[in-house]
Formats: sequence, C-alpha cells, structure tokens
Amino acid sequence: MKKTKKNNRLTDKKRTAVAAYLFISPFFILFAIFGLFPMLFSFYLSFFRWDGLDPMTFNGLNNFRFIFSDPIFYSSIKNTFLIGLLGTLPQILVSMVIAFALNSTLIRFRNVFRTLIFLPYITSIVAVAIIFGLVFNNQPFGFANYILSLFDVGPIRWGAEYWPVKFAIATMVFWRWVGYNTIIFLAGMQSIPRELYEAAKIDGATIMQQLRLITLPMLKPIVMFVVFTATIGSLQLFTEPLIFLGRGFREEGITVVAYLWRDAFVYNTFGTASAAAIVLFVIIISLTALNLGISSLIGRTKKSKVS
Amino acid sequence: MSKFLKLTAFMVLAILLLAACNGGGNDNNDSANDSANDPETTEESFGDGEIELVFWEFGNTGYDVLIEEYVAQNPHISINLQNADMNDVHDNLFTSISAGSGAPDIAMVEEAQIERYRNAEDAFHNLFDLGAADVEDNFLDWVFQNGGNADGTFQFGLPTDIGPTVMFYRTDVFEEAGFDSSPEAVNELVNTWEDYEAVAREIYEETGKLMTDAGELVFNARRDQATQQYFNEDDELIIDDHPQIREAYDYVANLFDEGLVGDIPLWTPEWFAGMEEGTYATMLAPAWMQGQIKDNSPEEGIWSITTMPEGAGNWGGSYLTVPSESEHAEEAYNFIEWLTAPEQQLEAFLNYGLFPSSPQVYDMPEFMDYEDEYFGGIATAQVFSEAAQSVIPVYKGRLYYPVDEELKEAIDNMSAGSDPDEEWDAAVSRIERILQR
Repeated sequence: MKKTKKNNRLTDKKRTAVAAYLFISPFFILFAIFGLFPMLFSFYLSFFRWDGLDPMTFNGLNNFRFIFSDPIFYSSIKNTFLIGLLGTLPQILVSMVIAFALNSTLIRFRNVFRTLIFLPYITSIVAVAIIFGLVFNNQPFGFANYILSLFDVGPIRWGAEYWPVKFAIATMVFWRWVGYNTIIFLAGMQSIPRELYEAAKIDGATIMQQLRLITLPMLKPIVMFVVFTATIGSLQLFTEPLIFLGRGFREEGITVVAYLWRDAFVYNTFGTASAAAIVLFVIIISLTALNLGISSLIGRTKKSKVS
Repeated sequence: MSKFLKLTAFMVLAILLLAACNGGGNDNNDSANDSANDPETTEESFGDGEIELVFWEFGNTGYDVLIEEYVAQNPHISINLQNADMNDVHDNLFTSISAGSGAPDIAMVEEAQIERYRNAEDAFHNLFDLGAADVEDNFLDWVFQNGGNADGTFQFGLPTDIGPTVMFYRTDVFEEAGFDSSPEAVNELVNTWEDYEAVAREIYEETGKLMTDAGELVFNARRDQATQQYFNEDDELIIDDHPQIREAYDYVANLFDEGLVGDIPLWTPEWFAGMEEGTYATMLAPAWMQGQIKDNSPEEGIWSITTMPEGAGNWGGSYLTVPSESEHAEEAYNFIEWLTAPEQQLEAFLNYGLFPSSPQVYDMPEFMDYEDEYFGGIATAQVFSEAAQSVIPVYKGRLYYPVDEELKEAIDNMSAGSDPDEEWDAAVSRIERILQR
C-alpha cells in the first residue's frame, strides 16, 4: 500500500512537472523558432557564400577574412562604441538626477512629470529619427544649425561629418531612453526607506550629500541593471542610423548591426552578414562577462566592508 | 481615476502629435523611388469573389480605382491591395521568395530592382506560359525586354509605367533672368549640357538663384542618358572603363564648384518644400515627378516642361510579376494583363500621371490632346512620349542601387567641398569591396 501511494505521489509530481513545462513551453517554442534556430543558422551561414536565392557554396573562413580586412567593419565597431558611450553615459547620469528630483517631495505635479518623462519611450523610433533628422539637418536652415548660427558657429553637416553624425545619433538614443531609465531609477529609489533620508536631514545633510551617500550606494543593483541593458541596447543600435542616414549609411555613422543588415538585405551577401553577426555575438558575450565580473567584484568589496 | 484620466489625456496628445508629424512630413510617396522614411503598410480589399489575389504595390499608383472596375467586371475575383514603401516591398518580396513562402499573387517590382530577382527564375511564373507573347506588342520593345531574361525566353513581368526624363523648369525664374519662358524657347536655349551650364551661370548672375537645388538630379539625368552605366552584361564593374558616368560626375563636380547647384538631398521635407519656393530654375526628373511637383507647388502656370538637354533617359517605372507561389497564377495574369492594357494605362496616366509603357496610348486622341493647365496648358503627354521613344535601354545589374548609393555619397561629400577625384576613388574602392563580398 505504502509503495503505491508513494508511486502515485511521484506521478503527481511528474504531472505537475509536465504541466509546468507546458505552461512555460510557449516561450521556449517561440524562442527555439525565432531565436535559437536563426542564431544557429547564422553560425552555419557564416561559412558559406549565399545571395539568398542561389544554392549556398562553402566558403571556409573567407567571410571572416573579408570582414576583418574591411576598414568599414572596423569603423562600424568603433562607431558603435563611440555612439554607445555618447548616448548612454550622459543618459544614465541625467536620468539618475531626474529620478531623484521626481522622487523628492518638493516637486508638485510629480505624476505629470513622471508621465511626461516616460513619453519619449513610447514614441516610434522612426518618428523620432525623422524629427531629429529635421533638427540635425545638413542645411544652414536646419534647427540645430540655426541655433549654432546665433553663436556664429557652423553650419555643420550633421549627416556627414565624423563627430556630428555620432552626436546626432547619440542624441536620439539619449532622448528616447532617458525616460525609461528614469522610471527604473525611480522605482529603485522608492524602495529606499524614507527613514534614511529623514535621519540624514536631521543630521543636516544637504541634497547633494543625500544623493551621494544614500541614494547612490543603495541604487547599486539598479545601476548595474541599467548599465547592462544600455550596453546591450547600444551594441544593437540600428534603426536610428538607418532612418537618419538612409540605406547606404555612411562610414561615419554605420553601426555593427547596420553593417550586417546592409550586407544581408541591401547587398544580399548573407555569408559576410552572418560572419559580422558572429563577431558581434562574441563582442556582446565578452562585454557581458566583463560586466558580470565587475559587478560581482563590486558585490564582494561591499560584503567585505560589511563584515 | 484622475491619474488615469491624465495619463489617457497625455497618451492621446502624444499620439495626435506624432500622427500630425507623420502626416505632414511624409505623405509624398511616388511611383518609382522613395526614402526609407515611411514604414506604413496600408491594406484594402476589393470585391467579394471566391478567388482572392494579394497584390503588393508601392507608390501612388491610383490602382484602387481601376481595381474596383475590374472586380465589378469579374465577380469571382477579389483583390487585396497592399501598399508599402518601395524598399520594403522589394525586401519583403526577396525574403519571401528566398524562404519559399509568403509571396503575394502579384508583386510590383521596380525597373532597376528587378535585377535582384533575375537569378530566381523559378520563383516567378514565366509570363510567356500564361500568354504574355500575345500582348508583347502592346509595349515599347525596350521596356518589355527589360522585364525578361537575356535571351528573351523568360518574362518576369508586364511593364506598368516608365519614367522618361525631361526638364521641368520654373517660368518665373527664367523670366526674371530675362529669358523667354516658352517650352520651345527654353528647349532651344538649353539644348546641350554646355548650354545648361552657361544658362545656369547667367541665371545666377541675373537673379542670384541656382539652376537646381539638388545636384544629385543632374547626375541622375546624365546617368540615365548614358548608354552604359555601372555594369556590363557580365556584371563586371565598368564605371572606370567608359567615360559616360565619370563625365556625369565631373560635370556635377564642376557645377558644385561654381556654386550653381544646391546640395539638398532628394525626398527630404526641405527638398519638397523647395519646389514651391522658386529659389531655383530647373528640375531634371522623370515623368512621374510631376505628381510631386503638383502636390508641393499647387499654383498653376509656374512650372513648365521641356525636353532634357541632349535627349531623354529613363528613370524608374515598374513591372507586375506573378511569383510562382501563387495558386491563382492564371487569374493573377489575367488581371495584370488587363491592368497594363493600353486603355487602363491611359486611365492611370490621366488620373495619376503614370506614364504609359504602351506606345499605342501615345496615339490615342485623349492622350495627344491632353493639355495640362498646371504646366501652362502645354500638351505634356507629347513631351513625355517624345522622350519615351528616344530612350536607349541600358543594362543595370544586380547591384545597381548599392553602387548608385556609393556614388551619391561621393557627390554629397564633394558638394561640401572635398576633392572630386579623391571622392571618386574612394567610392570606387568602396564599390569594389561590395563586389568582393
């Protein structure tokens, strides 16, 4: 008797397991079809020459050899990092300050501002890029050039010059994501107990001191999260340069994803596109590892301080 | 509740703002070329017949009117018309024939983009099998041939419209500079490219205005006149082996150098706006551009048309293809045969300015008598048909657009003052790398 009971329980357990797997299966099935398979297939493709229509021909490592001999590929990596840095670093700092302001009890209409700051995030990237395309227009009558002309600067060809292109694209990234990160930071700040601030105020701490000594240290995990997502996001930057620069891109503004997209869908050379994707994959993996390493290092020092 | 209301109010406001921006800036699609700016796809169904044909098109064709007529005559057919950005239509078609599923019953393919699909004969129905030989004579020879393979045994598509190039010009600017602004006089005045440059100089001296605001269009005009362009029929790059493209390039370089043409990029809001401002004298463009000019500069009698210096070229125009995935190939073919028949081409011309690929239309009285009040009441159709008949067909090659894109980058750079020779070499080496892939 005992035995069968136990067996029954086991099958019960199994049954729950099956049910649980069933419940989570939609994600894994979709991921396998739309995530895993394309990923593996592009590994495979990176060793072939394929124009999308004719049969594939084996090409060995030539695709990799080609992209590593292509100066534009190096430019695309450099651009990605430069635009990423220009777009995310200031963004994280600014969104932290805004979040702090929105979190403070001093500001009226907080909900209004919270909504407003988040709005850019829900706009379509294409619309953003078109509007910024008007602001950062090459012509003297473009908005940015007009403002600069008041200070006797310019006109700058925002769509063609080395730094202006990067600045313009980074601005779009900044504008669109600053609200998102503000909300994340705000959520993090709201989980910090009020008592800490009250105690600090009683001790006579200024707002800057509160920000530096309470908010920042308590936000560390949130900061890690934001840096993570921002890094990966900026490595995948694509739509903004596409709309801003057009299908040809330009060496000054092409990003890695733009480079591989152009290879695949404009030149129809899926082999080199896949090879570039593999390189990007390796870059993202190593950066993530680096990020993880740094964050665990920070975690450890914190622990040792506590003890 | 009030929070929710506020939030809703903001959402509505934001959406309205965006919609306003979108609508104002970018409803100017055209039949043969477009920027990547408009990702929207519109879908419309006609008729309730059992056999549904999915039709992918781009640009402003005005085919909805004709389709309504067709489904009324053929009640067993219904047509699902999907309009999207030109590049998107071609990318999507490419992806779906590469994947082997998802292609429509009828796909509109642009004249230079058709090269991308040439290797994929099995992805399309050979229209000769469906009866295209019977209608071959309806079309200009060179247009029909370009829609087929090299030895003329396989036909990808039936031609819809073409883009014979002409010179649009502003009568007010020509008059301001002291010239007679009638089409005949302007034609005589600007008969060669040398004349074009000389007139540009004179207009600049008299009025301070430019000859055209987009130097790119001067390059395109001369490119489309060239008998050889970027590739030969073996798909070898030949821009350094024959002088025509280089001449076009140097000609534009010189105009930039003298400050006679502007550097506004095509298809941008400022370029569209410039059509009305009267700050330049000419626009070298294909027939399908007239829709853009009319939309952006509504006042009649300002713009006029004459022939291009040194003969016309062709830029743009499209074909209707039947991908082999279609289960209703016969019905699809019957529909496109009807749609590209001379009568319907005439209607498309009268409604939307799509220039007919069928020379039979050129002899129709409605076509010949068509006088456009907008262009000062001249018989525009005749100007265009003269241009269309003088076009020399040219081989474009699979990588036509990528190569064109690199040359445009070079032109853009030299408009900002960099050295034309260096930019040319840089463009050629970029192009060579594209070909190595």
